[in-house]
Amino acid sequence: MKERPIRIVSIYPTLLGTYGDGGNVAALSHIASLHGLAADILTISPGMVIPDDADIYVMGGGEDTAQVAAANALRASGALTRAVDKGASVLAICAGYQLLGHEFPDADGNAAPGLGLLDVFTDRLPKRAVGELAAEPIRAGLTSVTQMLTGYENHGGATHLGAGVTPLALVTSGVGNGDGTEGAITGRVIGTYLHGPCLVRNPLLAETLLGWAIGQHLDPIVEDAVEELRRERLGSATMSK
Amino acid sequence: MERVNTSLRTKLAVTAGRLAAATSRTLGRGEGMVVGGKVTLGLSPHALADLAGGRVAALVSATNGKTSTTRLLATAASQAGPVATQSTGANMTEGVLWALANGPADAPAILEVDEAYLPRVLAATRPKVVLLANLSRDQLDRMSEVAMLARKWRRMLAENPDVVVVANADDPIVAFAAEKAQQIIWVAAGQEWTADSSVCPECGTLLSRDGTDWSCSGCGRARPKTSWQFEWEKTGTAVGPDGQRYDLASLQLPGRFNASNATMALAVCAELGLDLAKAVTLMSTVTSVSGRFATVVAGSLRIRLLLAKNPAGWSELLDIMPPAPTPVIIIINSNDADGRDPSWLWDVPFERLKGRTVIASGNRRRDLAVRLLHAGVDAVVIEDPFAADAVLPAGTRELAVIDCAATYTAFQKLRDPSNEELAL
Ligand SMILES: [Zn+2]
Repeated sequence: MKERPIRIVSIYPTLLGTYGDGGNVAALSHIASLHGLAADILTISPGMVIPDDADIYVMGGGEDTAQVAAANALRASGALTRAVDKGASVLAICAGYQLLGHEFPDADGNAAPGLGLLDVFTDRLPKRAVGELAAEPIRAGLTSVTQMLTGYENHGGATHLGAGVTPLALVTSGVGNGDGTEGAITGRVIGTYLHGPCLVRNPLLAETLLGWAIGQHLDPIVEDAVEELRRERLGSATMSK
Repeated sequence: MERVNTSLRTKLAVTAGRLAAATSRTLGRGEGMVVGGKVTLGLSPHALADLAGGRVAALVSATNGKTSTTRLLATAASQAGPVATQSTGANMTEGVLWALANGPADAPAILEVDEAYLPRVLAATRPKVVLLANLSRDQLDRMSEVAMLARKWRRMLAENPDVVVVANADDPIVAFAAEKAQQIIWVAAGQEWTADSSVCPECGTLLSRDGTDWSCSGCGRARPKTSWQFEWEKTGTAVGPDGQRYDLASLQLPGRFNASNATMALAVCAELGLDLAKAVTLMSTVTSVSGRFATVVAGSLRIRLLLAKNPAGWSELLDIMPPAPTPVIIIINSNDADGRDPSWLWDVPFERLKGRTVIASGNRRRDLAVRLLHAGVDAVVIEDPFAADAVLPAGTRELAVIDCAATYTAFQKLRDPSNEELAL
């Protein structure tokens, strides 16, 4: 096990934190401590320098203007791209997911440039996707997630996957990317429309990220309160299908 | 006295609306206000303008606190005679119409209006003053985004140049919405919740903040100079443009936010030419507002009922709860009127409840339980904490009154008239 604490960077929560996304960082920290792992959380506000030597980078959802501001600041910084090259992992939700791709729609519907860390691009869905989202993870080799993914989606983006990425999961209930798939993954970069927050409702995904950071597989630790919440939410997603 | 401005058509439409409302009440479908308002508007599309007839003194809008602020302001304004205002928090077009149609005839009106409905209600009712207090995230799966709402308010004020705006300068989104008005009274009313105003709504640049001061390096926008100030040190003080201080310690509505609401209401009173000392005295007679802060009996418990709908509101409520280890009840629902997505729970600083046991209830009690687990707060999950046989944390039943904070639909259920309201 690594000597130094796992370094987790929360990117621009003031811009990208609309849907309780702070819960993802809280979940990483909480689940790390369940495994006896120390974690340092660094919260980056716009204007601050983003380190390129951390282990896990997390960003959430946001409004259109904030999303464009975040994408511009991240492109100017270049730190996220350097960090990924060094083996760091990224979990990006909703607006954060969209800005990891090649382009996404701004407030006026024009294409804004993203970071190109995921081979996807986003345009608009005919109708906003709002509601419970449940999805079956695929290619279990990429993450150690074997159980159904559960979350809540609220986005107007249709995300189209290129050849350089794999979908994270197949939608069983809800909209996701818009073509039956949900999210995208390449290497250790993950984008998804699951909030709720994502890692709170899917602790296995948090354990995947933490496992990558320490270079060893983590056996899942199940908490009753979380399990009960998962059961309830997956049940309600099936019912509302 | 006949209302000269009310057309015959509107009079007939109001009568038909009352009839529809009475039928709806008889059938046990609630107060009938929405039905009655819809019928009236269907028969006389200009009914709102007809009924307003130049007597609307003020409209109040905000994400949080509009019902309380409206009640404080209407009570203060009653020094000059009867006031037409909502008796419940019904604040969309039908609720406004109902208050005008069924309140004291020809009396000045003071009305709360839903943020999204404000542009059309303002255009129809042509108020003398509009109070704009705060804008933050609230039910994002239902409402427009915050910045979009601000742009709608901005357009509304450009199209209605006669209205005097009383606005909170400490909320950058409100300031952006209000700045184009011809007459603005800026109030330093404070802003506890800054997470929804981190970027400039005009140019998207991150706002610089220094205490309550804020500015944008992108477009040069900055916090306006204020004429009214709000001060808080355990109790509130409002300071007028002339330096006159109004002690708000006698307010019975609890917390910093209600004192801030009273300060904004006082600034409106000044514009309406009311006596401000009398206004403070009258505002201090308000003990609860449509069930908020009221003590009620719920099953086997006596509770102080608190309503919170979004992170900004919750953040304020946690401050007025008694200190640990006193247990509290929190009820989280996700019915339509609550917002379907409770992920905002992760934006509420529940860590402040450490050292006590929280009784978690509501149809999203499991989300709350996990949130509290991560916050390091002990919780018991109980479907019905008011049942006589509910297993409650030690000491709960010995409390004379326990705080119960709830989302909208849970709150409404608890303040059902069958729960007798106790005189405090
Ligand atoms: Zn600006």
